[in-house]
Amino acid sequence: MWFLTSLTTERRQERIESRTYTYAVADESADVAGTADARTWLERALAVVGDDGRADGNEPTAGPAVRFERVEAPDDVAAALDEERLHVHVAWEAGGDEDLPDEDVDRETVGNDGQGAPRIVLSYRADLDASDSAEAFLRRALERTRAELREQRLATAGFASAPDDLLPLERIETASEEQTSGLLLGRLLTAIIVMMMLAGGSIVATDALAGEKERGTLETLLTTAASRVEIVTAKNLSILAVAFATSVLNIVNIVVWMQLDLIAPPAGLKLVIPIGAGLLLVLLYAPAAVLLSSSLLLVSGRSKTYKEAQLLFAPVMLVAMAVAAIPVLPGVELRSAIVLLPIANLGVAAREILTGQYDWPLLAAAWAVTGGAAALLARASVRTLSAEKLITASELDAADLAGGPALFPRRVARWFAVLWALLLVWQLNIGGSIDSRLLISINMAIFGAAAWLMIGRYRLPVRETLSLRAPPAGAWLGVLIGAPAGLVLADGIVRLASLAMPIPEAWIEAMAENMGAGLPLWQMLIFFSLMPALFEEIAFRGVLLHGLKNRLTTVQLVLVAGIAFGFFHVDLFRIPPTSLLGVFLVVTVVRSGSIFPAMAWHGLHNALALGSARVEQIALPEQPIWWHYVLAALAILLAFRLMKRRTRAAFS
Amino acid sequence: MSTVQVEAQGLSKNFFDQSRGEVKAVQEVNFECRGSEIFGLLGANGAGKTTTLRMISTVLQPTAGTARVLGHDVVSDPVEVRRNLGFYSASTALYPRLTARETLTLFARVNMYPAERTRSRVEEMIERFGLGDYAGARIEKLSSGMKQKVSIARTVVHDPPVLIFDEPTVGLDVLNALDLQKAIQELREDGKAILFSTHIMSEAERLCDRIAIIDKGRIRACDDLEGLRAATSRHYLEDIFVHYVTGNDTPA
Repeated sequence: MWFLTSLTTERRQERIESRTYTYAVADESADVAGTADARTWLERALAVVGDDGRADGNEPTAGPAVRFERVEAPDDVAAALDEERLHVHVAWEAGGDEDLPDEDVDRETVGNDGQGAPRIVLSYRADLDASDSAEAFLRRALERTRAELREQRLATAGFASAPDDLLPLERIETASEEQTSGLLLGRLLTAIIVMMMLAGGSIVATDALAGEKERGTLETLLTTAASRVEIVTAKNLSILAVAFATSVLNIVNIVVWMQLDLIAPPAGLKLVIPIGAGLLLVLLYAPAAVLLSSSLLLVSGRSKTYKEAQLLFAPVMLVAMAVAAIPVLPGVELRSAIVLLPIANLGVAAREILTGQYDWPLLAAAWAVTGGAAALLARASVRTLSAEKLITASELDAADLAGGPALFPRRVARWFAVLWALLLVWQLNIGGSIDSRLLISINMAIFGAAAWLMIGRYRLPVRETLSLRAPPAGAWLGVLIGAPAGLVLADGIVRLASLAMPIPEAWIEAMAENMGAGLPLWQMLIFFSLMPALFEEIAFRGVLLHGLKNRLTTVQLVLVAGIAFGFFHVDLFRIPPTSLLGVFLVVTVVRSGSIFPAMAWHGLHNALALGSARVEQIALPEQPIWWHYVLAALAILLAFRLMKRRTRAAFS
Repeated sequence: MSTVQVEAQGLSKNFFDQSRGEVKAVQEVNFECRGSEIFGLLGANGAGKTTTLRMISTVLQPTAGTARVLGHDVVSDPVEVRRNLGFYSASTALYPRLTARETLTLFARVNMYPAERTRSRVEEMIERFGLGDYAGARIEKLSSGMKQKVSIARTVVHDPPVLIFDEPTVGLDVLNALDLQKAIQELREDGKAILFSTHIMSEAERLCDRIAIIDKGRIRACDDLEGLRAATSRHYLEDIFVHYVTGNDTPA
């Protein structure tokens, strides 16, 4: 294909360059002001036509073989152009707008159409190859000659230097060619690899489970001594092998075509990938490859037929491509929330490696996140092999039928995943550019609306869902003790996390800005303390906790619901402290059986954080004082003790 | 009598079904099956036969109760269970693009049959089931009778002590069905413990040493033919079956 395209393009070029074009000049006797000038201009242009050798986009490059031949001016120009007796018609007009003919003719003016200056009018047919090329050659010759004529005039009029030499501008780029090329490749590499792997892998994946179900061989396989893990591993390996082989073939193909000069590499591409970086890239892409093959296999496992699997691959591919294209976005750094998005994080990491940046802790984190996602999907594939509804006829669980509250625990994770994605997209795209009060109001509106939607959709009992109960009196004392201690511990965890990934100064400044520095105190309290305390508690300690509580043990519940809350604080550096806060708030609700102490804690925590930031400008003591943390931890334990409800009916 | 090879205790399985809500497909099923015995599960379509056998083959997980194959628990030790088991049903198809010989080699190896003996074992199976002329042809080229023979050979190639035949004669013509029954009887002579499900009375009568009559997920009766006849004072299995399933006393 490439070869044929390139061959035909060459032939076309040859034909365009080696032909003779006809032109005609209209009515030279017509008495138009400046006719003499225009005639000189045209003569000079005709003398140099075809000499420019300029390759400009899709326009033909003129070689010396181009010839222009003058023919008699026809009476009917349009007919002559149509019959190709004439390729281009030249006329001149005096300047001025009043005598422009034919409004519906597509006109473009060469040079200034200022009053009084004569102008040359070229008529041609853009839909006829020869006429189109003739016009292009002639127009370019006219443009060049016009510049020369202008220079001559200026020189005659006493203008010292050539106009082109006036105010020259020069660029010096300090990045090496390798770095520039690295950026170019880094932006696209992930998308290219993902596309190739999906194209190759999907065929095997469809056959791997859906195909076996359709042929009836799956049950045969499932009753052999092979374990489910072995089956899924083997299937994944075969998908990976084919995906890898097709990708390598594709790449070899491209390289060969480039070597044969049949396709042109991007301008200025000079790639030197050091062996070390190359190996690192291979290592880096390994979990991404497994993630892709696992997701394909999972789709295949969840489909009952070949066709169903093929149908479901489309959304998987769209999502994978969208994620893989994220490195193309400017300004996305690995040291951001993107490190939590599988595949995209490795894409951004690859881009940074190719431009010579190695952020080791974040590279490891990205690798682990994508690897973890791959493992989860592989485990889900294993489960599809034990899921009776996929092997036998019965379709849905009872809860799916009944809808309503019973279904909610199965859907809650999905809802919050969508919510998280929504928040991520919105924060990354618009977040930084608007007033912090508006930002927070919109975030809170999103949480409130989501909570309201979930309660409505699943007909959840509001009082029970949101734990709207009177807490034991001790809970309030617990909050008073716990919230300040929690803030101290949050500070501790920030310090711990900063050992792994130091917090940039710029981030702290931006944070202070986001936290509404400069706002009046009452506004700060409303937007950063009161509103989060209400809406985030309703969404996270109300709805999320309600959805998860019957599916997890208490310890799991505290960790999952707490850390999930942290992850909603999209910003990478805020995740550790907010996760900790989330954990404390979940414990508060679980212990006291009520959401109100959690709201109070949250509000107090935020207010104290704002207060301490106002006082110290987030200037923490240089050296952490260890007994502060011990004391705080003890205080927290005491606080939780105080919150304990007497009755058993507390949180269930 | 030889030792117990398969036992089920309180085996139960609940499904959720779109139209029927929660379905108790199998409830409290108890039985055991010994070597050199064909144990029949006789029931109408949807009675729970396949579900029971799938739980024993570890394809499905029981909701409650246990089953053991050679003492290996189906939940905690599924791989050992399957290694000692050959499972045959109308829905266990073969890979169409493998030859009979490749198929047998593959399944012998997947089921951990010793590598050094696999080749001779495969040739032995080819000879025993009369596949000699076709052993090198792709499965997709074979007639349905030949496919069925390859399928049985596939089921027993790793020489498992326990065999499960889940409605094996569904869709077969009379001659092929008789061939299959003969093969199953021969396997009993080899000392295998065989679980056999069917809804065809004559098949159960002819093959099974003991019969469990299963209806709506419960075993209604379990004995040899003579015992069932004595308990119900009916001669034909058909009448005995109707007696247990409908609870409706047709005249003796």
